Amino acid sequence: MLTEIILGTLYGLAIGVMPAVGATTGLVVLYPFIDTFEPYAGVAFVMSAIAASTTGDSYTGVFLGIPGANSAATTMLDGFPLALKGEAARAISAAIASSTINGLFWGILTFTLLPFYTKLIMILGVPELWAFCILAFSCVVFISTKSWIRSGIALAIGIWLGLIGVNPDTNEPRYTFGWFYLQDGLQLIPVVAGLFAVPEMLDAFVKRDKTATKTNYRAQTLQGIKDWWDNKWLSFRGGFIGAFVGVLPGIGGAVADWMAYGVTVASNPDEEFGKGNIKGVIGPEGANNAQKATSMIPTVLFGIPGASFAAIAMALFAYLGFELGTIEIAEDGEFFRHMEYGFMGGTLFVAILCFILTPILARITAIKYIYYFPLLFAVVVWGSVQYTGGWEDYVILFLASILGLACKKWDFSRASLLIGFILAGRIEGLTVQMTSLYTSSDLASRWIFLLIMLVTISVIVLNLAKKFIYNSNKH
Amino acid sequence: MMLFSVSVYAKTFTFIVPQKIGGGTSIWASIVAKELEPHLGKIKIKHIPGARDIPGFNKFHNGLLNDDYTVMVSHGGNGVAFLIENVDYDYREYASVGLMNLNILAAKRNDANGKIKFAGGSGMAPEGFAMALLLCGQMDDIDSYITCFKENVTWVRGMKGSERRLAFKRGELNATRENPAAYKKHVAGNNDASMWFHHGLLQPNGTHAEDPNHVGFMLETLYAQTYGEQPSGRMYDAYKLIKSFRDGIQKALWVRKDNPNKQKLIDALVKIQNSAKIEAKVGKYNWLIGEDGDNQIKTLLTLITHDSLSDMVRFSNIALGLKSKYKSNLVN
Repeated sequence: MLTEIILGTLYGLAIGVMPAVGATTGLVVLYPFIDTFEPYAGVAFVMSAIAASTTGDSYTGVFLGIPGANSAATTMLDGFPLALKGEAARAISAAIASSTINGLFWGILTFTLLPFYTKLIMILGVPELWAFCILAFSCVVFISTKSWIRSGIALAIGIWLGLIGVNPDTNEPRYTFGWFYLQDGLQLIPVVAGLFAVPEMLDAFVKRDKTATKTNYRAQTLQGIKDWWDNKWLSFRGGFIGAFVGVLPGIGGAVADWMAYGVTVASNPDEEFGKGNIKGVIGPEGANNAQKATSMIPTVLFGIPGASFAAIAMALFAYLGFELGTIEIAEDGEFFRHMEYGFMGGTLFVAILCFILTPILARITAIKYIYYFPLLFAVVVWGSVQYTGGWEDYVILFLASILGLACKKWDFSRASLLIGFILAGRIEGLTVQMTSLYTSSDLASRWIFLLIMLVTISVIVLNLAKKFIYNSNKH
Repeated sequence: MMLFSVSVYAKTFTFIVPQKIGGGTSIWASIVAKELEPHLGKIKIKHIPGARDIPGFNKFHNGLLNDDYTVMVSHGGNGVAFLIENVDYDYREYASVGLMNLNILAAKRNDANGKIKFAGGSGMAPEGFAMALLLCGQMDDIDSYITCFKENVTWVRGMKGSERRLAFKRGELNATRENPAAYKKHVAGNNDASMWFHHGLLQPNGTHAEDPNHVGFMLETLYAQTYGEQPSGRMYDAYKLIKSFRDGIQKALWVRKDNPNKQKLIDALVKIQNSAKIEAKVGKYNWLIGEDGDNQIKTLLTLITHDSLSDMVRFSNIALGLKSKYKSNLVN
């Protein structure tokens, strides 16, 4: 098992550091090869790859301003500005520490408290999931940029893009302008690549020789660990949020990260974020690995994927001969052991590897961008055209890049746009389901739903009030 | 050395799967391909995803089938789309290597009362028809069934498979449907739910027979128990049409009619038809191989009449909220 865990860690780290690719795509690539593993060893390999990619996906976000996966966009918000100030190693080190400790902690809790989680999944229904999505929208609109109006517009655009495809009610094409290719919707990777990767790469290529000046990377790595220690409760809070959201099927990592970021900002009202605040890295990174651990709960217990990467993991396990959500799996202690050791081992090994490598890798920020731009660009394009490989994939990447450049130029929140895009189908489905299944008096009796809506309203009102007061004082 | 060079240069079969990696048909195709490889050599799975799994099948029809080593893998959703959407592919133009004639099982929560709350969508259309028959009995016309259906069923749209399963476990839905393997996994062990009905297995003469795995729950059996007579009439014909096209070709392998490798594929399929791995995935259902599969298609086509197709489209559009199209070129 140790060999598979190490291999999985290395593989996961490799896919994590690739810009805009993420765990989901990295797992898909495994399909032709997964059955070369002995079944239980294959489980350990997959879980260690998941854990390692989640830690590794912070690198490109911090070093280059390009998220390694859609859920790493929050880390990038403060991590990249830190890199521009010459503190890349500090940011990565803090991210790894936060991600690892929470990954280990929630990895243990995931497997020891499994029955409790079952009850939680059963209590939270369609209205609660809907309310969580609305809360996530509120967090990102008011936190991702200074202008909540532009964030709101970006969110609306993202939702519209996410609705392109087929009306799930009627199976009729929707917003496809007669282009049949679009009836399957826009694919996530070219959208992420176009919104984030291409604008940042072009910006760096045109404007900068290198990201930052050389500095003492080893000292920074230690400083990052110290920063995590000084803000450990913030990290644990992020982990709790990530773990909680991870249990909710279909919500996904991006929501967890954004909520954790939102709570971080809200709990430090006198500090500025988005300009290189180390707390802005530590909070959401706490959510990252925690969410990956707990996403496996509904996946394993019910055969209901907790997130998109979990759906692919489920299919990989099926290829290995493990049918999740069955009594047989629930009683298969060896399967659980391999899952747990794979995830924990991957989390631990990747942390050790990253702490060793970070002072070395951070030097990339001091290298002239022109030297690695071609390879980076090729990787981003490759990742973006895996859907069909046809000319249509390239067109979508191009159009998403134009949109990304426009958002960057006119300061429309790309993060808002992205979360709108990711959750569009989900919020539409949940809205239809909620209005079909529940009346308003039904909703009024669901206290968890009411609580989440109260928090959402508070987020909106408090932030509007804050901005109103700020503007009044300015004048 | 000669044998080595022959094996090195032997062509590889390619199975076209019209969905993304990880889908149900993708996994099924991988398992079947693996069982066939000892008899056919290495088999490559090529995924051609697209809206409602149609583009991949269209691409097969529009050119890929000309390659003697390309095999199309289709599923029940392709069958329904063939009936009600503008697609390029046409089962009448292919030869069947083999197909699995499966059953879909509907379950109800033991505490269900009042209106049925069921997750709807085009893939669930046969269940909509079945519920209308079971809940409404013999009615005068399709519009009466539509009215009765809307009064008795909340057709909840916008739910994916995993959401549906969880909603059913929680009690937000009080009825659901699954393929046999998923039924075993998600419903059979659930003390709060039990089987409601199933659609039976399509026979060569176009009727349906009891599923030996779940005797006594075929819709026709339950209908007769409830209303004292067998279901009949235009609504029943429309139901038979849509359920047959979805379940009668739930999983199928197709090649061009004059493909020289057709017999080789059929012979290989005969050898693996009792594979325990395939049975573990889908349950104990028989293959219809070669000519039996071709005859199945012929049987299905006889069910398409002007009345059955137009009634099917009308009920689908008004009761189920779909945007089905009446395709006159399919009518016998």
